[in-house]
Amino acid sequence: MDRSHSANVVLLRKLALIALMMFGFAWALVPMYRVICEVTGLNQVAVADAAPSQAAGAGAEVTMTFDSMVQAGLPWQVRPLMSHLKARTGQFVRVDYEITNASDKRVVGQAVPRYLPAAAGEYVKKLDCFCFKQQSFAPGETKRFPVVFVIDPKMPREIGAITLAYSIFDVPGQGGS
Amino acid sequence: MATVTDTQHAPHSHKPSGLSRWLTATNHKDIGTLYLWFSFTMFLSGGVMALCIRAELFHPGLQFFQPELFNQFTTLHGLIMVFGAIMPAFTGLANWMLPLMIGAPDMAFARMNNWSFWLLPPAALLLLTSFAVPGGAAAAGWTLYAPLSTQMGMGMDMTIFAIHIMGISSIMGSINIIVTILNLRAPGMTLMKMPMFAWATLITAYLIIAVMPVLAGAVTMVLTDRHFGTHFFNAAGGGDPILYQHVFWFFGHPEVYIMALPAFGIVSHVIPTFARKPLFGYTSMVYATSSIGILSFMVWAHHMFATGMPATAQLFFMYATMLIAVPTGVKVFNWIATMWEGAMTFETPMLFAIGFIMLFTIGGLSGVTLSVAAVDIALHASYYVVAHFHYVLVAGALFSLFAAIYYWFPKMTGKMYNERLGKLHFWWSMVWFNVTFFPMHFLGLAGMPRRIPDYALQFTTFNEIASVGAFCFGLGQLIFLYNMLVSIKYGEPAPQKPWEGADTLEWQIPTPAPYHSFTEAPDLEVAENGAIRAIKGGQHH
Repeated sequence: MDRSHSANVVLLRKLALIALMMFGFAWALVPMYRVICEVTGLNQVAVADAAPSQAAGAGAEVTMTFDSMVQAGLPWQVRPLMSHLKARTGQFVRVDYEITNASDKRVVGQAVPRYLPAAAGEYVKKLDCFCFKQQSFAPGETKRFPVVFVIDPKMPREIGAITLAYSIFDVPGQGGS
Repeated sequence: MATVTDTQHAPHSHKPSGLSRWLTATNHKDIGTLYLWFSFTMFLSGGVMALCIRAELFHPGLQFFQPELFNQFTTLHGLIMVFGAIMPAFTGLANWMLPLMIGAPDMAFARMNNWSFWLLPPAALLLLTSFAVPGGAAAAGWTLYAPLSTQMGMGMDMTIFAIHIMGISSIMGSINIIVTILNLRAPGMTLMKMPMFAWATLITAYLIIAVMPVLAGAVTMVLTDRHFGTHFFNAAGGGDPILYQHVFWFFGHPEVYIMALPAFGIVSHVIPTFARKPLFGYTSMVYATSSIGILSFMVWAHHMFATGMPATAQLFFMYATMLIAVPTGVKVFNWIATMWEGAMTFETPMLFAIGFIMLFTIGGLSGVTLSVAAVDIALHASYYVVAHFHYVLVAGALFSLFAAIYYWFPKMTGKMYNERLGKLHFWWSMVWFNVTFFPMHFLGLAGMPRRIPDYALQFTTFNEIASVGAFCFGLGQLIFLYNMLVSIKYGEPAPQKPWEGADTLEWQIPTPAPYHSFTEAPDLEVAENGAIRAIKGGQHH
């Protein structure tokens, strides 16, 4: 009886260990997800792109709309200095955004760009953007940032208009809040 | 491997009586009975929620419930049916039948078994009482997707806690099942001879141990996001709600097979019994079951085709999903081949098993349709999905459970159920099930989204049909309850082997099964699928 009983307990321990390891695996999925996204380039909206090789001649005309968004409760005021622009593919475009920290604390923010239609995202090559890194703001500080991009001439002709919208998020633990 | 466990009792035949028999139950039959009644209670309460949903959807516009409450019903209906009804019912059956089928005296860890069961009622209470707290019950859908689940009231915390408790319960139950099967089989009952039901529950138990902790991790992250300032799924803090879907479905897809594999096991006994032929292709059944278990870990993202995955990933998950149709097809082929030229009779368990094969195949086919990434973009979160998973879960898991209960009822109770009521229950369920869920295919193809209390006018007729079907289907389950209650008390005494073609070990012991069966391990000569050729020794009291 003793021997078989201990065989049962040994198996119980092994199986319980598997369960514990799988609980750990659930948490390991978090960094794995991040690394897989980085390696495959998925979901990497906030890194600089290489400028596309210039196509000869003037490209197609694209209407750009600039927008911004702040979630309720966050201390940011964000506005693009121009809301519309007619650009041509293959042409360098610069647009400025003005961001204000409306709180009385030092805060660090991270901007995340979004494109509409989403399929246009891969053709808007950002060369410079405040979204490439976290930005620190003193209480009440206002900063102006340029965004420089080129629209890839390879973009399908059906996409005649692109909206570029930034959402600004708080980076927790970095500011004074 | 067969040996005596810590459950060896002094040679007494009286049972502990009264409430303490159940509260302190360590006997696998008592615990199995508790599981089965618990899951039937949950089946009824989840069913009432389903009827509330169908009542609201009978007409367009809001009749009975506000959208918030409607969403709570859809969420809790799903959670209760999955974690409260189907899973405990299979664990209960495994508790009742496994030791009898493999010649073990009891489950390996009798006290842990007691704990596994008694964790469930508090979890169920948490879920049911969460309707009464401020903000109501969880309303994010049974998948509890972030960011919805990171925002709701304390009903969500109660749900998360309930999931933790039910997860621990099912993990302990699974450990018990695995140790029992691997260590306590009677001499002669080798792995490649043992009954398909034992194989199915063994693989299911491994799946549960592998994925329930992942669900526990996912909901724990939701909990810390809600209360402890983490940002796993909060985009505002650098998290990603899509991550939740990946973690959830890593659990969620194997969970689908946790609810399907035991059903396959049951049908693999009922069909040979009433076809009076051995199961066709036993070995391929074992391998098919195992490969379904393994493949189920590689297909989770087919639930997420609409999240904007790269085409390569969509193709991978699409083909991997279609691959599962191969072992499943092997099983369906084997069941049909078993019936081929068999001397079939159509008692209630057989009717439910054949109904299972027909309707589960329809559910499988709509599953293959949904696996096509391009098609899924249109059908995602539509009523087509609702139709699909009710064909595999109601006509699949639930029908197989009915088949199992009717099949083993004589052995469990010593009485015969009422065959006429059983057949009425089957035909009633078969007809109204299809009336309820078949129109949902059309609704989904026409674009009706799931989880909404109101809909566009053109969906009215099919919704009316589905609602009528649902109320009749629900009512019909009372036939089952009545049949069980009356037959337990007044049923005809059952012979030791009421089914001519039954050949597994549980039919070799007296009816009703003695309270302590196989206190001494029998020496067995076994053929495939647990068919007993010769038995020596083995004592009960």
